Amino acid sequence: MQGLKAEEFDFVIGTTKVVPCYKAFAGERFRSGQTKGRKSEGASTVSLNHPLAANPREAGETMRKLQYVLMMLAVLFCAMPAFADGGSTAINLVPIGAGIGMALAAGLCGLGQGKATASACEALARNPGARGGLMIFLVLGLALIESLTLFTLVIILVKVK
Amino acid sequence: MHGSFFLTHILDQLFGGIEASAFQSIVGLSASEAAEKAAGVNSALALELLVVGGTIAFFLLVRLTLSVEKPNPAQQVAEMIGEFTGGLGEQIIGHGYEKYQSFLTCIFLFVLLNNLIGLIPGVPPPTVSPWVPLGLAVPTFIYYNYQGFRAQGFIGYLKHFCGPLWWMAWLLLPIELVSHFARIMSLTIRLYANMYASDMVTLGFFSLVPIGVPAIFLGLHAFVSIIQAFVFMLLTMIYISLATTHEH
Repeated sequence: MQGLKAEEFDFVIGTTKVVPCYKAFAGERFRSGQTKGRKSEGASTVSLNHPLAANPREAGETMRKLQYVLMMLAVLFCAMPAFADGGSTAINLVPIGAGIGMALAAGLCGLGQGKATASACEALARNPGARGGLMIFLVLGLALIESLTLFTLVIILVKVK
Repeated sequence: MHGSFFLTHILDQLFGGIEASAFQSIVGLSASEAAEKAAGVNSALALELLVVGGTIAFFLLVRLTLSVEKPNPAQQVAEMIGEFTGGLGEQIIGHGYEKYQSFLTCIFLFVLLNNLIGLIPGVPPPTVSPWVPLGLAVPTFIYYNYQGFRAQGFIGYLKHFCGPLWWMAWLLLPIELVSHFARIMSLTIRLYANMYASDMVTLGFFSLVPIGVPAIFLGLHAFVSIIQAFVFMLLTMIYISLATTHEH
């Protein structure tokens, strides 16, 4: 049964280069789990001449794997012309740059604010009486840290048309 | 240029001509050029005037109905505001904070109400345009420097810029000047960018899901409004306290 499966795959995508690794992957899958399931179901006798059509679940899985392979191939072969095109027409990198800048600013601002808030919480736990003064300086510190991110935002707004 | 609000339209009809005539008489442009240059009254200015009028009306009402035995709700609200800013001022500026409390309360209420007016759907808060925060930051800068000169004397306040060691003054004076002028920028951009971002978030989610979800971001907007007004006032207090404390 296993041999038949492997041949079947060979038959389906025999022309592509991906087959060897894919065959190994499929064989491993079928050896480990799938055969047991089939025995318990007792469906092995049904799959006579076309095992893919006989068991709908297996056929579905095969189709899914095929889909992955084809998608990978599509990416591999379609991406090349896309990259090749980049030379002739200029890619607009401004939104990407703006996104990276904003992400860096927001992420590092988050780290800084987290550190400030953590220290404030610790201080408050040690000395609950200092609540008023702590709140003022916490809010002030958070606003000052946050404004650095907002400077980035403003620069992006000014520079990106 | 002309906003779509009823109030903006009326104000523009009433006072929009003043700007054009000022261009005509002061700058010396012809009538048609002046009409082109003049921006008229936009919605931010109209909303600011609305806030100013509302605040003045509220405090006039409080002033006229002051009573010790039977304080009415308006008086209690005014007392709450006064206690809040006074308590904070005492904590940060210390003794003699009463001199500055009126300016601080004005700044706080004006920023707060200008931010919160954006909670009405379809009304952009005036602080979303960068000129409004700039118009608040420049008087703040002038005010704390004026108070610094008044409290420490002309020479004393200038010494304050030069740092503690006289032979380091050539290095510290430019740094101090830049850092003081950067305060205008940071006050402006902090308020403007916060309000702009929170307004944009609300609008963005409104365009994605028009029902229900934007209400959450209106809550966020309210929170940001209060925090930013608080921070603006707090920074003004800190600048005043830095400018007026004597070093000794």
